[in-house]
Amino acid sequence: MPVPELKVPATLARVLGKLPATPPVWGMVRMLNLLAARGILPVDHGLLAGRQFCIRVLDAGISLHFASDGSRFVASHADTPPDLLLAADLADFARLMLREEDPDTLFFNRRLRIEGDTELGLTVKNLLDSVDWQHTPLARFMAV
Amino acid sequence: MPLPELVCPAGSLPSLKAAVDNGADCVYFGLKNDTNARNFAGLNFDDKTASEGIRYARAKGVKTLLAINTFAQQADSARWQRAVDEAAGLGVDAVILADFGLLDYASRRYPQLRLHLSVQGSASNYEAVNLAQQLFGVQRAVLPRVLTLAQVEQVIANTNVEIEVFGFGSLCVMAEGRCLLSSYATGQSPNTHGVCSPARFVRWEEGAHGMDARLNGILIDRYAPEEPSGYPTLCKGRFEVEGSTGYALEEPTSLNVLPLLPELLRIGVAAIKVEGRQRSPAYVAQVTRVLRQALDKAAQGGQYADPLAMATLGKLSEGQQVTLGAYNRPWK
Amino acid sequence: MSLPLQLVLGPLLYFWPREQVMNFYAEASSWPLQRLYLGEVVCSRRQQLRTQDWIALAADIAATGKQAVLSTQALLESESDLKRLRKLIDNGAALVEANDAGAVHLLQQRGLPFVAGPYLNIYNSDTLRLYRRLGAQRWVPPVEMPGDTVRLIAVANPDIETEVFAWGRLPLALSSRCFTARHYQLNKDDCQFRCLEHPDGLTLATRESQDFLAINGIQTMSAGCHSLLDEIAQLPARGVQALRISPQNQHLAAVVQAFAAAIAGEQPVADLSALAPGPLVNGYWHGEAGIVLKEAAHARA
Repeated sequence: MPVPELKVPATLARVLGKLPATPPVWGMVRMLNLLAARGILPVDHGLLAGRQFCIRVLDAGISLHFASDGSRFVASHADTPPDLLLAADLADFARLMLREEDPDTLFFNRRLRIEGDTELGLTVKNLLDSVDWQHTPLARFMAV
Repeated sequence: MPLPELVCPAGSLPSLKAAVDNGADCVYFGLKNDTNARNFAGLNFDDKTASEGIRYARAKGVKTLLAINTFAQQADSARWQRAVDEAAGLGVDAVILADFGLLDYASRRYPQLRLHLSVQGSASNYEAVNLAQQLFGVQRAVLPRVLTLAQVEQVIANTNVEIEVFGFGSLCVMAEGRCLLSSYATGQSPNTHGVCSPARFVRWEEGAHGMDARLNGILIDRYAPEEPSGYPTLCKGRFEVEGSTGYALEEPTSLNVLPLLPELLRIGVAAIKVEGRQRSPAYVAQVTRVLRQALDKAAQGGQYADPLAMATLGKLSEGQQVTLGAYNRPWK
Repeated sequence: MSLPLQLVLGPLLYFWPREQVMNFYAEASSWPLQRLYLGEVVCSRRQQLRTQDWIALAADIAATGKQAVLSTQALLESESDLKRLRKLIDNGAALVEANDAGAVHLLQQRGLPFVAGPYLNIYNSDTLRLYRRLGAQRWVPPVEMPGDTVRLIAVANPDIETEVFAWGRLPLALSSRCFTARHYQLNKDDCQFRCLEHPDGLTLATRESQDFLAINGIQTMSAGCHSLLDEIAQLPARGVQALRISPQNQHLAAVVQAFAAAIAGEQPVADLSALAPGPLVNGYWHGEAGIVLKEAAHARA
């Protein structure tokens, strides 16, 4: 079930961009910590401690700021400069997460922007790649 | 005529499973340290994931190979020996080694352990391959990506060692194991640290003229907005020579031997290797699937390099370009 | 006080016209050198001197009382490469420097001693001892090896001589592709021997005009000139017994004199940069990026 070629409509993006980003980032941080606690996300916070992240969904106009406090992920203020910024359209993020597309392919095509600390970017990319979804309910959505 | 084995990369457990599920005959992987040539943060296997991967592969009849293919550094050479010990303990089907001292250790300590000479071992001729066989009982050698098809054939004709060649993946234009460009710029090379143009030295800078890619401050490339970009591997940057600027050494491109499969079958290569332990499970799945189908079709005399297969591999390639590399010497 | 160091001339890595090569070695045989390495290490297409000519030149140099060593091609690919290799190894007189495991195989089969060249990837004592068993008398560490590592290995292996690359553009990589031919948009098989026009290689700069690398046919070198002159006093304690000077188009006599004077314990020359084919570098020896220039630890007058 490939992710369709969709873009978040600009009108919706304008509205989304004006909403406070705090609730979505709370949800994401909670989910990441849950996945880590269950051993699905094999995160080594030693590699990420104190680092600031920003995930920017370009077509939705949303930026999610969070950090690692050394043992778990926590939401950050929007004005914290990120050590690593990942930016792409919503559909491309979905393809990435479902392993329909290879992050390098998206990056080579300039559809995924990675700014900041390149090694941190690689660490995060490798972390996402090493998640074994096989034992989770999400498995049936995965392309691989 | 037995088909060559399809040898696929795994930088993580999901990649390993993707290779196994999509038709690999062997998967190769490394440990989480500088004993392997893809020593990147967050990549590779620890004891637990390695054991699970080996179990998964074995249950589906797929062999596992552990790459310990950097050169043991004197100050800490015991770490490389421990990696060999670990491989023997894990029960992998073979280890892939480059360092002659380490090959010596492995062959003495574990006479039953099957040894492959890594591409980093730089054996580009049969005399070198046969030396490794005579000294260590190496059973397979991976040839550097510098030989023509005729030269590969010549090696195969003059050795009993199985010969493995690269079939797909990012192209290294230099003879493997003999490139120090990365350490000249950063202090770290594939031979010493298992990295090439390491990420910790990479900086992307968006500026007035586009995006600059720097390695330890050295400008490797500059991309116009919208221009497809590549990872700033030193040899694939744009430089100036006698006033003209361009890819002085190599374009960002990938090797793809699909059009040559029947020739590789004819000359008797024992295995075809896919590059890319640093790539994602999505890449491993797609490349493995395409090459599995192509090999099976080529064996039956069918259409092995159909446009869809070529397009799939093209999309996964660096710079979306593919080449036959040295096999047909486009630059000869 | 003089230093216990030999001074030797490495193999010519560039492609020079026959006459220039002959003149160069005629001159070099009178320099204060203990040993000269001869032979084509880089490209099989370079035939201004054929294998037989190099063997004859080695005999001429040996006749002057200096040791001549024949260096093998570093990247051996074709049957004709192996044919030339066998001829070189079976020269009957001169010691051979092996730059490929294939060469080691032939030497070992013939029971001949050899020099383990810098392209053999000897990164540890175990590997060095293995080559020692196979017949190596002397080894040249990979050019990227830090001085501290050279010391660890050399001190643990006193029965084999350690010779380090001490001056010249660094040989960094080998390919089957010819980058000089590529630059001139020529096929490698029809390269028109354009390397002859670049007696110190062809400098490759970044798009900010920083001299970075040098193209030398199938070999990629550093644009910078590696120099261990400032470190020379510490080298014997690092287990180093010989310093290798790499041939360059100009000023090499002066470079050799400067090293010889330093070995003799004379006040070092103030600045060798005017004699170098590129900016001076020495980072590798200090465990850093090869392109870096570290100031000497000792204060210079």
